[in-house]
Amino acid sequence: MATSIARFSRRALTPNPIRRFFATSAALATNTEAPKPKLTVSPSPDRAKWDYRGQRQIIPLGQWLPKVAVDAYVAPNVVLAGQVTVWDGSSVWNGAVLRGDLNKITLGFCANVQERCVVHAAWSSPTGLPAETLIDRYVTVGAYSLLRSCTIEPECIIGQHSILMEGSLVETRSILEAGSVVPPGRRIPSGELWGGNPARFIRTLTNEESLEIPKLAVAINHLSGDYFSEFLPYSTVYLEVEKFKKSLGIAV
Amino acid sequence: MGTLGRAIYTVGKWIRGSGQALDRVGSLLQGSHRFEEHLSRHRTLMNVFDKSPLVDKDVFVAPSASVLGDVQIGKGSSIWYGCVLRGDVNNISVGSGTNIQDNSLVHVAKTNLGGKVSPTTIGDNVTVGHSAVIHGCTVEDDAFVGMGATLLDGVVVEKHAMVAAGSIVKENTRIPSGEVWGGNPAKFMRKLTDEEIAYISKSAENYINLAHIHAAENSKSFDEIEVERALRKKYARKDEDYDSMLGIVRETPAELILPDNVLPEKTTTRVPTTHY
Repeated sequence: MATSIARFSRRALTPNPIRRFFATSAALATNTEAPKPKLTVSPSPDRAKWDYRGQRQIIPLGQWLPKVAVDAYVAPNVVLAGQVTVWDGSSVWNGAVLRGDLNKITLGFCANVQERCVVHAAWSSPTGLPAETLIDRYVTVGAYSLLRSCTIEPECIIGQHSILMEGSLVETRSILEAGSVVPPGRRIPSGELWGGNPARFIRTLTNEESLEIPKLAVAINHLSGDYFSEFLPYSTVYLEVEKFKKSLGIAV
Repeated sequence: MGTLGRAIYTVGKWIRGSGQALDRVGSLLQGSHRFEEHLSRHRTLMNVFDKSPLVDKDVFVAPSASVLGDVQIGKGSSIWYGCVLRGDVNNISVGSGTNIQDNSLVHVAKTNLGGKVSPTTIGDNVTVGHSAVIHGCTVEDDAFVGMGATLLDGVVVEKHAMVAAGSIVKENTRIPSGEVWGGNPAKFMRKLTDEEIAYISKSAENYINLAHIHAAENSKSFDEIEVERALRKKYARKDEDYDSMLGIVRETPAELILPDNVLPEKTTTRVPTTHY
């Protein structure tokens, strides 16, 4: 009886100063913050916060399986989802996302999609034509570009950080300057240099410049060959997984 | 037959073992330039000390996305491939039915020119386009942030407003309801028509459906992936349209059929009817 009273009193007394300290600091914290709107979130305890497999590069959706040619270089942190076809000699560089879930995406021969691009295809295009994204042969799409349901005809250069919206058409041998934004349904005529937001005509290209365009694509193709040879045909991560599982006692 | 099977299994194991030994020899030859692959340490949902993300069970978070720190995401939302939602310095709250598309960045800085630091709030049914950068802003419900847009500190995008693609919205701009702003720096462009406002809500809804498919696909285990790969190889036939012109009916296995609501307006004939 006495011991229980002693235990009860001890429990009542000692946490109090600590609890009081926390209470005051919490009160201070809530006073300085602006009131946040209430959001009812019911998290699931099963959600995987970390998946040792990382992000899969090729994500099939239903019957669609992204197809990569044997000599095309696709960086390991690229995401190809849905109907994506990467033809021979082309390359998709780090961090790009090619999401062919609503419509087809085709990357032609020796084309390259550089770092961190997002290529998507909308379900329908404002022009009424098929809304697939077609990047034809020898096209260089610069880093950080966003392509959505556009058609890029052979031998073009799309500058870095450019945005091509639905239904736009870039005709053969034209160059888009870096940072240009092509509004939906616009056409960039053949052999011209356009740029700006929204994209406006700057000048026509000289013949020498037009001849340089496929040379750039081929140069990047050679570069992608170096990167391609860095990777083994099959990953050896499974060895580490087996070692891991063995150390944790999980059946391999 | 049992012993033969076991013998073949053992021979296979020896061959794999010798292959791994060869791999080690090759690595030795490559010396310091060799590459050793390790497990992916990418953490999709990560705590920053005591701030942990609170993500609803219905949300699709792509494995390559990073949701770090004090982030709350409501039900039905989707965070697509390569996004970074960094709630390290302040709070990020994403409503329900919102989609933050690929390679976007949502963040708030500790210091900015005004000295004020405000949390980032993204409302319900918002569409944030690809590669957008949202930095310390408030985006209200049913808004549309175009792809490649950069929203700087303190921007408020009101309900039913649209930020055009590629625009750079300067600090503390307020984009009124029902208007389209664009350009660098973002200025008023035009007013939204009613059907465009309806389109924004419809696009958010389409994305919720799309997110379910991607979520299902990304959470598959190794065995399921292998089974589907075998199925796909087995049933790789001609186009459905080609078949329907010839009057052939082919069966696609259940695992390979996408739900109908993903592709809008498509006449769903899983079993094509005969045409003459």
